[in-house]
Amino acid sequence: MSIEIINSPTISSQTIEQGVSLSQDAFRRLRKNKMAMAGLFLLVFLIVIALLTPWIAPYSYDGQDLALGATSPSQQHWLGTDALGRDQLTRVMYGSRVSLAVGFIATAVALLIGVLWGATAGFVGGRVDAIMMRIVDGLYALPFTIFIILLTVVFGSSMLLLFLAIGAVEWLTMARIVRGQVLTIKRQEFVEAAVSMGLSPLQIISRHLIPNVLGPIIVYTTLTIPSVILLESFLSFLGLGIQPPQSSWGSLISSGVETMEEYPWLLIFPALTLSLTLFSLNFLGDGLRDALDPRAAKD
Amino acid sequence: MLSVKNLRVVFNTRNGTTVAVDDLSFELKAGEVLGIVGESGSGKSVACYSLLGLIPTPPGKIERGTAEFLGQDLLRMSETELRKIRGLKISMIFQDPMTSLNPYMRIADQLIESVLEHHNVSKAEARQRAIKALTEVGIRDVELRINDYPHQFSGGMRQRVMIAMALITEPQLLIADEPTTALDVTVQAQILALIKKLQRNHNLAVIFITHDLGVALQMADNIIVMEKGKLVEQGSTTQIFTQPAQAYTQKLLSAVLTTSKPTPSLAEKTEPPFLQVKNLKTYFPKFGGLFIKRLLATQKAVDELSLTLNRGEILGVVGESGSGKSTLGRSIMRLVDAQSGEVLLEGKDLLKLSDSDLKKSRYNFQMIFQDPYASLNPRMTVFDTLAEPLLAHKLATKNNVAEQVNQLMDDVGLDRRFIRKYPHEFSGGQRQRIAIARAIALKPKLIIADEPVSALDVTIRAQILKLLLELTQKHQLTMLFISHDMSVVRYLCDRVVVMQNGKLVEEGETEILFAAPKAAYTQQLLAAIPKV
Amino acid sequence: MFIFILKRIFQSIPVLLVVSLVTFIMIRSAPGGPFDQDRNVPPAVIKNLNAHYHLDDPLWKQYVDYVVNVLKGDFGPSFKFQSHTVNDLILAGFPATMELAFYATLFALVVGLTAGIIASLKPNSLQDYIPMSSAMLGICLPSFVLGPLLLLVFGIWLQWLPVAGWGQIPGDKILPSITLGAAYAAYIARISRGGMLEVLSQDYIRTARAKGLSPARIVFVHALRGGITPVISFLGPAIAGLLAGSFVVETIFQIPGLGRFYVQAAFNRDYTMIMGCTIFFAFLIVTFNLLADVVLVLLNPKLRQQINEGH
Repeated sequence: MSIEIINSPTISSQTIEQGVSLSQDAFRRLRKNKMAMAGLFLLVFLIVIALLTPWIAPYSYDGQDLALGATSPSQQHWLGTDALGRDQLTRVMYGSRVSLAVGFIATAVALLIGVLWGATAGFVGGRVDAIMMRIVDGLYALPFTIFIILLTVVFGSSMLLLFLAIGAVEWLTMARIVRGQVLTIKRQEFVEAAVSMGLSPLQIISRHLIPNVLGPIIVYTTLTIPSVILLESFLSFLGLGIQPPQSSWGSLISSGVETMEEYPWLLIFPALTLSLTLFSLNFLGDGLRDALDPRAAKD
Repeated sequence: MLSVKNLRVVFNTRNGTTVAVDDLSFELKAGEVLGIVGESGSGKSVACYSLLGLIPTPPGKIERGTAEFLGQDLLRMSETELRKIRGLKISMIFQDPMTSLNPYMRIADQLIESVLEHHNVSKAEARQRAIKALTEVGIRDVELRINDYPHQFSGGMRQRVMIAMALITEPQLLIADEPTTALDVTVQAQILALIKKLQRNHNLAVIFITHDLGVALQMADNIIVMEKGKLVEQGSTTQIFTQPAQAYTQKLLSAVLTTSKPTPSLAEKTEPPFLQVKNLKTYFPKFGGLFIKRLLATQKAVDELSLTLNRGEILGVVGESGSGKSTLGRSIMRLVDAQSGEVLLEGKDLLKLSDSDLKKSRYNFQMIFQDPYASLNPRMTVFDTLAEPLLAHKLATKNNVAEQVNQLMDDVGLDRRFIRKYPHEFSGGQRQRIAIARAIALKPKLIIADEPVSALDVTIRAQILKLLLELTQKHQLTMLFISHDMSVVRYLCDRVVVMQNGKLVEEGETEILFAAPKAAYTQQLLAAIPKV
Repeated sequence: MFIFILKRIFQSIPVLLVVSLVTFIMIRSAPGGPFDQDRNVPPAVIKNLNAHYHLDDPLWKQYVDYVVNVLKGDFGPSFKFQSHTVNDLILAGFPATMELAFYATLFALVVGLTAGIIASLKPNSLQDYIPMSSAMLGICLPSFVLGPLLLLVFGIWLQWLPVAGWGQIPGDKILPSITLGAAYAAYIARISRGGMLEVLSQDYIRTARAKGLSPARIVFVHALRGGITPVISFLGPAIAGLLAGSFVVETIFQIPGLGRFYVQAAFNRDYTMIMGCTIFFAFLIVTFNLLADVVLVLLNPKLRQQINEGH
C-alpha cells in the first residue's frame, strides 16, 4: 500500500494524494458487517417509530374498550388487545418511548459522569487518580440494583429518578474504561512528543487524547444502552419501575406473564420487541468493537 | 538431511493475497549450520514455520514445494505424523523467551512434558533428564531453580531454559528463530557461544534465522539471503563475506560492518559548555506494604550523572536495557522529573524552569522517539503533525504553514504528495522520517534521539542514519544520541559515554574508545559485537 | 497470603457499614411508617408499637443499636410478620435462593465454558458462529422473558416440566435454574471464547505446538489456565446479578426464596426485613468477590509471588 521513496526530488504539490483516516477505515469495516448494519437499521427504525408514536399510534394508550376485552391479533388490532380492551400495538409503541428514553438518557448521564471522572483521573494521575479510583472501587462493591429498588420504594418511581439512579450505577464501569484508555494513550510516545512540543494541556487533551480515546468509549456506550434498558425492564417487571397507566416493555411483559396461558400474544409481542432491540444494540456494539480494533487496521 | 525445493507459501487475508515465500530451495546437511538472513517481510520465519506445519492454515497456505527430511516429505505429512517430528526430531527456539515460555507452569514441568510426550520413560527419569539438560546450558543451582516459574529468571537464563527444552529430546535439527534479538548485547554473545558449543557437542544441524548478517556470519557455515520471499543469494560464509554477488547482500553487509564516522566532527567548545548535566539524580520509588504504604525500594535510574555536550557535537549515550540512558534523555527533556541535579542548556538550568517558562522554552530542545508506530498520533495527517508545532509556537500562520511543511518533507526525503496521508499508511522508515521532520520543525538547538533506528530494518537503518548525519550538518544541530548498538554509535557520534546502572562508566572520543576501552564494561560491550 | 485475605476482609468492613447506613437513611426517609397501611389500627396501639420497636428514639441511636445487634447476629423482628424475626425469614428463604444460584452458576459454567472453548478452537467458522449466536440469544432474552417462554413451552404446552415450586415435584428445579443461568452462560461463553482466543495467540502456545504436544494437552493444560482468568474475574461481581435475578425467577416460578421475600418486603415496607436482607446480600456479594480475587491470585504464579512479598 505504501511506497518507499528515498531522497526524491521535490514534486509539485499538484497531485496530493488523499489519505484514509482510521475512522474511515473503521466505517468501511462496519459497513461490511451485515449483522451490525441490520442492527443499526432496526434500531433507527425503532427510534423513529418511538419518536413519531404520538402521531402515528392507532389508538390512545389508555383508551379502554371493556366490551371488547382481550382479543387475539386482528385487522383492527395488529397485536391484539388486553383484558381491558386496550390496543396492544399502541401500548407497545408507547412502551418503546419509555424504554428507549430511559436507555439513551440514563446512558448519557453515565457517559457524562464516567468520562469526566475517568478522563480527569487518568490525565492528572498521581494522588488525584488514586483517590478517585479508590472511590470508584468502593462504590463498585455496593449492590446498586438493590439500592435502586430501595429508591423506587422510598421515593416512588418517576422517570427522572430512573434516569439518575440507573445512570449513577453505570458510570462506574464507564469511568474505569475511560481511565484505562487515557492511561494507555498517555503513555504513547506521541503524547510525550506533544508535551515536549510545549502544547498546553488543553491542546493535548483535545487534539491527542480525546480522538484516540473515543473509539472504546463509543463501543462501550453502545453496549451500555441495552444493559440500561434491561435494568429498567427488570424493575418494571417487578412492579417497581414505571407505573401504570404508563407502560414500559417490562410492565407489559409482567402483565403478559400473568395471563400467558390464555392470551399468549400479550406476552410474546412486548417480549419480542424488547429482545429485538437488545439484539440490534448488541450486534451494533459488537460490530463497532470489531471495526475499531486497531489490530485490524495495522497490516 | 533436509532438502527444500520450490517452497511457496501465501497468505489469503481480507486485504488480498500476499506471497510470503516464493520458490525457495535449499539443502541442509547433518551437523551443518545454515544461516537464513533477511529483514522483516523476507519470509525467513514463515518458510521455517511451514516446514513444521506451524503456519495457521486458514489465512496461510502452502501452495507448492517439497521438504524432504529423513526420507519423508514434511509438507505432505498429516498433523499426527508431524507431531512425532516436532520436538523430537526437529526442535525450535524462538525470539522472546519471556512470552515463549508458559508463565503459569514451572520450568520443570515444561521440560518434563517434552520428554514424556516423545519418550516412554518414567516421570522420575524425565526429571533427571531435565536436570541434566539445564545443567548443560549453564543454569546454576539446578535442583533448586527447576521448580521456579519463568518470570523468576532473567532474560538470558530464560533463553537457556528454552534451549534446554529444545535439546532435551536429542533432536537432529534445531531451528532457531532470532534467538538473541530480544536480549541484551552482552547476553547475546553468551547465548550465541552456548548454541555454538551445543551444536558441536551434539553434532546438531541448525537453521539460524536472523536479520543480522553479522550474527549469521559468526554462527553459520552457509548462508541464505532472502528478500520479499525470494532467495537472493546463497553461499558459504566466506563467500558471502568476501564476494557478495547481489546488490541487496552488499547492502546488508555494509550495514553490518562497523565503520567510523564519515564526516569530521563539527563540535566547538564554548564557555559555558553548550549542555552541562551536573549530578543528575532520577529515582523511581517503589511503594508497597499491606496497611500503610511504605517505601520498598528505590530504583536509581540515573544515579548522580554528569556529562558535557559541546555545540555542534553528536554525543552517543550507550548502555544496555536498564542502564538508565532513556531516563537520562527524558530527564533532560523534562518528560520525567529528576530528583536533583542541574541541566544547564547554554547556562540556563532547565530543571529550574517554572511550568510556563518551560512551555515557552520547549522549542529549544526536541526529541526523536524510538517506536515509529507509537510516536505519531494515528489520527492526524502528516500535514497536521508537522504543522502543529509551527502553529503552536507561532513560527507560521495558517496561510504560510503549508510552505514550511513542504520544506520539511523535502528535508527528510519524503514525497510531498503524501502530505495528507495518515501514519498507518506509511512504512516504519517513513514514519521515522516524519518524526524527525517534526523534531527539527522548531529549529531546536538540542535534539535528543532515543534509539531512533533500533526498531527499523537494517537497510532502512542505514538510510535514516545517513539522513540524520546530513541534517545535523545542514542545520547545525547538536545531538544526544541514545543507543544500545555500538556500531550505530560509531557511525554517527563524535564522542561516546557509556552508562551502566544509572552511572557513567566511561567517556571519550569514539575512535579512541573503540580502539582502547578502559573500563571492563566497555570492553564487554565491544566484545559482544559480532565479529565477522 | 493469609495477610492478603485479612487485608481484603478489613477493607470490606467499611463497605458493609456504608451499605447499612445508606439503607437505613433511605428507609427512614420514606414517607409513611410501616404500620400506616393497616388503616384499622388505633393511634394508641401505633404509639405502643412505635415504642416497642424503638421508633421514638433519635435516629442515630436507632442506627447504632441496630448495628450492634447485627454484629451479635440479630437482625431484629420483622415488622410485617409479627411472630417471626428477620433471622427466621432469612434462614427460611436463604437455602432455596442459594441452591438456585448454585445450580444456575453450575449450568452457566458448564454450558458457557464448553461453548466458549469449542468456539475458540476454530474462530470464524460454523463451530464458532453457532455457539456465539446462541450466546447472543442468551444475552438478549432476559430472565423475565426467557422464564415465561420456557414455562409456556415446556410447562404448559408440552407439559414436560413442572411450572412452580422448589423441591416438591421432581424436575421443578430445572426450568428456574436454566432461566437464571442462561444469561450468565451466554456471558461466560463470550468471555471464555475471548480469553481462549487471546491465550491461543500467545507465543507460548506456539512453543507448545512446536514441541509436538497433543492438541488436547495444549488446550487443557496450557491454554485453559490463562483463558479462564477473565471468567473468574467476571464471576465475582456476577453474584450480585445472580441475587438480583433470583428476585425475578423466584417470582415467576413461585419459589419460596429470599429474593421473593425481599421484593415483598419492599412492597410492604417491612423495615427490618429490608435492612436485614440488604446487609445480608451485601455480605454475600463481598464474600464472593473476595473468593474470586483469591482464586485469581492462586492461578497466577507471578501475582502469588508479589502477594507473598507483601505488595
